[in-house]
Amino acid sequence: MRALLRPAQYLALAAYILFLGFPLLWLISASVKSSGELNSLSVNLLPRQWHWDNYADALDRQGLVHSAGNSLVVALVSTALVILIALPASYVLARLKGRIRAAGVGWILTSQVFPVVLVILPLFLILRTLGLADSLAGLTLVHTTYTLPFALWMLQGYVTAIPVDLEEAGAMDGAGRWTVLRRIVFPLLAPGIVATAMFSFVSSWNEFFFALVLLQSPENYTLPITLNMFIGGEGKVALGPLAAGAVLAAIPSIVFFTILRRRLTSGLMAGAVKG
Amino acid sequence: MKSRRVVVAALAAAASLLFTACSSGSGDSGGGGPVTLKFQSLSDQPAAIAATNKIVDDWNKAHPDIKVEVVPAGWDGVYDKLVTQFNAGSAPDIIHYEAAGVAPFAKDGYLADLTPYLSEQKKADIPKGVLDSVTVDGKVIAYPTELQSYVVFANKALLAKAGVTVPSGDTMTWDQLRDIAKATTRDGAYGLGWGLSSPTAAMVALAPGFGGKYFEGTGTDAKISIGQGEMALPQLVDAMAHQDNSILPVTLTQSGAKALAPFYAGQTAMTIQGSFQAANIAKDAPAGFDWVVLPTLAGPAGPAQAANPQTLSVSKDSKHVKEAAQFIDFFTSTENLAALNQADTLIPATTSARQALTTKLGAQNGWKQILSSGQYLTSAPYLFVDKYAQWKDTVATPAYQKFLAKQLDAAGLSKALTDGWNSINR
Repeated sequence: MRALLRPAQYLALAAYILFLGFPLLWLISASVKSSGELNSLSVNLLPRQWHWDNYADALDRQGLVHSAGNSLVVALVSTALVILIALPASYVLARLKGRIRAAGVGWILTSQVFPVVLVILPLFLILRTLGLADSLAGLTLVHTTYTLPFALWMLQGYVTAIPVDLEEAGAMDGAGRWTVLRRIVFPLLAPGIVATAMFSFVSSWNEFFFALVLLQSPENYTLPITLNMFIGGEGKVALGPLAAGAVLAAIPSIVFFTILRRRLTSGLMAGAVKG
Repeated sequence: MKSRRVVVAALAAAASLLFTACSSGSGDSGGGGPVTLKFQSLSDQPAAIAATNKIVDDWNKAHPDIKVEVVPAGWDGVYDKLVTQFNAGSAPDIIHYEAAGVAPFAKDGYLADLTPYLSEQKKADIPKGVLDSVTVDGKVIAYPTELQSYVVFANKALLAKAGVTVPSGDTMTWDQLRDIAKATTRDGAYGLGWGLSSPTAAMVALAPGFGGKYFEGTGTDAKISIGQGEMALPQLVDAMAHQDNSILPVTLTQSGAKALAPFYAGQTAMTIQGSFQAANIAKDAPAGFDWVVLPTLAGPAGPAQAANPQTLSVSKDSKHVKEAAQFIDFFTSTENLAALNQADTLIPATTSARQALTTKLGAQNGWKQILSSGQYLTSAPYLFVDKYAQWKDTVATPAYQKFLAKQLDAAGLSKALTDGWNSINR
């Protein structure tokens, strides 16, 4: 019975991975199907005929590559800003006791309550006053502000999980405050930082509504805005090129994840050794 | 999405009062020198984008002192974007949208009155019903450009197999459609496929053929009236679907585009679609698929359908309303509208452009009947009703869906539509 358990676990895992990956497989399949096949009753995963023109159409349309570049810049800079701000703030939040901490937590939770549509107009007017309404800098600022509370909440959970005893042991050994942070806390926190960075990057990369309203000039459009233009009025959708564009849009996220995944693993191991 | 719109609109109205001091008009300073106009275009198909850009290029070459810049935008989310732009005073000078979308903005005073710039010649060239659809409180607030109608596409082979002669003439009755659907429901195929997942748009657009208007009055004073004219079409669909069994059931829950797949596969002999689908059918139908557009459907009150044209309007905050109106007049010339509508497979909003396109393309598959259907497009009362969008999404669509699924009877549908409206419009 026990001998059967392990293969069954692997089988379940494989089925789960397939289940999770199926939308992506279907998207890739749709991106190489002809318009006729996409609009037929056939539900085959493999296309009858591979139709690579969708990629050429997607790349031809309305500056897809340029807008992907804009998205990348905004996502990377806002991720860096979020981590820079959230890292010290989350440490303070996790270690601090008393009313200030309660107020901080209250602020974080309250900031998550408001729907985007309620803040968009005041935000637009503030950014316009600052001369940042139709700019990538303004959008980066907005993404940073909007992602920060959740990132802070996420990261302070990781800090809380690090036993204070470790820091105290370091201090007992003669390490200063900065050394304790650098040699003990940050390595243990690495997986949390990586996870938070991933979250921030994906949030910014996929964000649509702020970009839709704040950006006016086509040269500033981000990828979701450009992809949105594949969907026309009267129910007209360029399905093939849209799927191809979506596949291309997923590549930077996958690359980013692949790079950070190693850090996530090494960070976990570092934590295990230190703990 | 729609409820979000309501929140945005409410918030925007309040915020506009707070932030009026921050606003400033779009466009350039308005001093001497060349004028630059921003034109937010929603053209989405590559051919239509090219046609739009060509018109703009032609204008810019002919008018070096009035430069037009195209700002491409997408249809999805454009309402929210315009709400913010209008309230922040940063709307583009020239706005591309649809009549149903711009009418509320006109009511709220965000659009310039274009009546003084509309020549008598141009006015005479726009069918009265279409002109009415862009007239708010007696003012023309947009120029109509492109239209769509609902038409019947038919599989000629399945009609022939059932011994049905393809109807000729300018119009055909709904009874004829029902008879053809019954006759072609055989050998596992259904007579009709109709994507009615969002049924309200089709019901209100086709109601004029049965004498249905749905609303009387405008703005918040509008009153709903659900009588025989409004109930005739849903009851006909119900009879075809559940008595004749001549409508492929699954299509009643699908979008129009989805209902094309069974049509291509020979599972349905006919399908009711927006006229623009002719281009997709020509492109996507299997090789050898022989199809035809049937004559325009006519009810007891005639072949009228409600028009919701795409439009070009001018922001009231624009510093160059006159120049923007001049550009729109140029954009809607016979030649330009014909080229744009050919690219988008839509029906030109002016009679002269429709005739030009008929002369050019009438012999090609479907174009003659599609363009002919354009002459029957008429004003849509729902365009000028403030709470229409909310009623459509929260009341009418679920009520029609329940009715088509036999969860509501005719009396229940009528009551749901009426009570829902009275509740929303209190």
